[in-house]
Amino acid sequence: MNDLQEQKETTLSFEKIKKDILRPMQNHKGLELWIAFLITVISVCAWAYYVQLRDGLGVTGMRDYVSWGLYIANFVFFVAVSLVGMLISSILGLLRIDWITPISRIAEIIAVAFVAVAGLVIIMDMGRPDRVVNVLIHGRFQSPILWDITVVTTYLTISLLLLILPMIPDLAICKNELKKASPILKKLYNILSFGYINTPSQYKHLHKMIRTLMVLIVPVGLAIHTVTSWLFAATLRNGWDTTIFGPYFVAGAFVAGSAGLIVAMYFFRVSYKLKDYITDVQFDKMGKLMVAVCLVYLYFNLNEFLVPGYKMKTGDDIHLTELFAGHWAIMFWSSQLLGNVIPIMLLVTKKFRKPFPIMIISLFILAGAWIKRYVIVIPTLLHPHLPIQNVPQNFVHYYPSAIEISVTVLSFALALLIITVLSKIFPVVPICEIAEQKGIEVKIEA
Amino acid sequence: MKNAIKIIASLFLLFVFTASVVNAQKWQAPVSSKKKQNPYEASTRNISSGKKIYNINCKSCHGDAAMGNMLPLQPVAPSDLGSQAFLIQTDGEIYYKVNKGNGAMPTFEKTLSDEDKWMVITYLRSFDQNKKESKKIAEVKNPEVTDVKLLLDINNENKRILANLTGVTAKGDRVALQGIELSVKVKRNFGYLDISGDDAYTNEKGEVSVQFPEDLPGDREGHVNLLAKVTDDAYYGEVIVDRIASLGIPTNPVNPLDERAMWGTRANAPIWIIFSYVGGVICIWGVIFLILFQLIQLPKLAKNKE
Repeated sequence: MNDLQEQKETTLSFEKIKKDILRPMQNHKGLELWIAFLITVISVCAWAYYVQLRDGLGVTGMRDYVSWGLYIANFVFFVAVSLVGMLISSILGLLRIDWITPISRIAEIIAVAFVAVAGLVIIMDMGRPDRVVNVLIHGRFQSPILWDITVVTTYLTISLLLLILPMIPDLAICKNELKKASPILKKLYNILSFGYINTPSQYKHLHKMIRTLMVLIVPVGLAIHTVTSWLFAATLRNGWDTTIFGPYFVAGAFVAGSAGLIVAMYFFRVSYKLKDYITDVQFDKMGKLMVAVCLVYLYFNLNEFLVPGYKMKTGDDIHLTELFAGHWAIMFWSSQLLGNVIPIMLLVTKKFRKPFPIMIISLFILAGAWIKRYVIVIPTLLHPHLPIQNVPQNFVHYYPSAIEISVTVLSFALALLIITVLSKIFPVVPICEIAEQKGIEVKIEA
Repeated sequence: MKNAIKIIASLFLLFVFTASVVNAQKWQAPVSSKKKQNPYEASTRNISSGKKIYNINCKSCHGDAAMGNMLPLQPVAPSDLGSQAFLIQTDGEIYYKVNKGNGAMPTFEKTLSDEDKWMVITYLRSFDQNKKESKKIAEVKNPEVTDVKLLLDINNENKRILANLTGVTAKGDRVALQGIELSVKVKRNFGYLDISGDDAYTNEKGEVSVQFPEDLPGDREGHVNLLAKVTDDAYYGEVIVDRIASLGIPTNPVNPLDERAMWGTRANAPIWIIFSYVGGVICIWGVIFLILFQLIQLPKLAKNKE
């Protein structure tokens, strides 16, 4: 077994790695079709957003009571998935865990795409998006909204830097190898490679910067999702008024992010033919990581629901009964069972950690994670402390309108488009890091 | 045989069910309670005092007496206490029910004094068309008047408010109106505080004298909004007079927005939160800019090839 692996490794020359990873960037018909499809979806759904912009938020299902609807659920979901960048490339990277090398860039791409769209979702949720600047001009230091805008932009910036900086050696290779690339792309490679030719001093300098960023993103990553939870937890509403909301959201984010990463890994492995790089080992390890984060999340769920469920204070009683056995029971239990409990039970067996089964399981986890955010945001708003009285019937319930669903599709398509475009113009697997890990000498011409 | 059992069983269930429904509808006071007599006379004063107590303690469920606007509670709605169907009971029976309560009707044994309970019963009895003798025996006859006026005379030194109720008779004389209940109220944050006391009935001069409370706060200058009216609009329509008087204790209200607090404006944010936010932003972005600065230097390093 050992011999076999060694034999395989020796056949991986630097030239082969370069060829394998750069090939899908140059010639990939399916990818272009996929981009065209996403752009079509976005254009169609952009019309829905235009209608919302023209006629105001009245075209959504949101009314006086449920004023945070589908959009905010999406926002929390996007922020959650984006946290995978911090988990994989920073926390595991700082711990020098080597199996993450081939997937760290995918994690970072997901982080950038999802946090960028998370910011956009907030703006899409505004009736007057032109007033978003007012948050910065007039924002109060006491307001979690100001903190949220701050950490989202900060996290986006650091994630972008953590995507680009480790990629600099690879971009220098792209500059030299991709002769047929368009002039704009060539210029981009030229600028972003920062004249890197892998001299020892450049190498040292670059890695020092990357390590600093890896440390820096840990508090910012924790902050982005903790502050997102504080948007809820800083109120007195039943279901939101809990002290564990910060870590609870962070744990949930690791689950959703890992699931997103596994799905992306699978599609890149198949579509980019990267079986030699994103191997079964990566899926197996991600499966184990998934069990770990799911167990932590389960533990938080237990605390979040069992403790108030034991006491059943008047307001909590109404809220929890609706979740456990009422109108939201199907969504609640499917998110708990399909998105957490059953995946844990399946992923402890090795055969479910093979690429295809774990990808399917991850899709369920992702769906469960999204539903979970939906039942965190909406049911609480439907049960304010003061009774709902003398209001039109459509204030009492919340159903997302077609416009809202279209705008949601728009945001998901946008995130996928950003991931696709980034993986089209940048190598999705770090060439130089893989070579270094395998002990192959990296040569970059000036 | 089986069918017979079924029929008997369903008949039995039906019987139990009807019995429980009937039980819920019929609420009989024990015979012994019937004999108890109302020790208070049906004077205007007592009726009016009973009305006040009724409005505070009974009206929220039973609605206005004889108006039939009670709360539509299930399975049994509260009775209209001014209806003949209710007033067919003796005073003793009503007294018993007020004391004991039943189902959703709470007990008032401890919450109302005996006098209060009898006042309420006196008030309710005034709706009874069968009891002529209870009709307002002690009523003072005022002449028919028009142009009813309520005047307020405020003595700032000893904080007494003197209200005077007069009207013009058919002959054109302005005469005092006697035995009419007045309400003197002070405006507070949420509604009015009644300061008229227990005995706010006009005397033979048409006057009611009310002592303003010593400890009632006013605004910065001690101003309070006073309002006096004839309590029952049924006599002369709405007779009302309001006045701003400096009878209250001058107070300097604290505006909670003036202090540094979490609920304050941005300028009044707590110092620690400004420091944490600004400090955090400066630290994190400082490092980011430092790294961007180092990044720009990367091309230069290509030249020293040692």
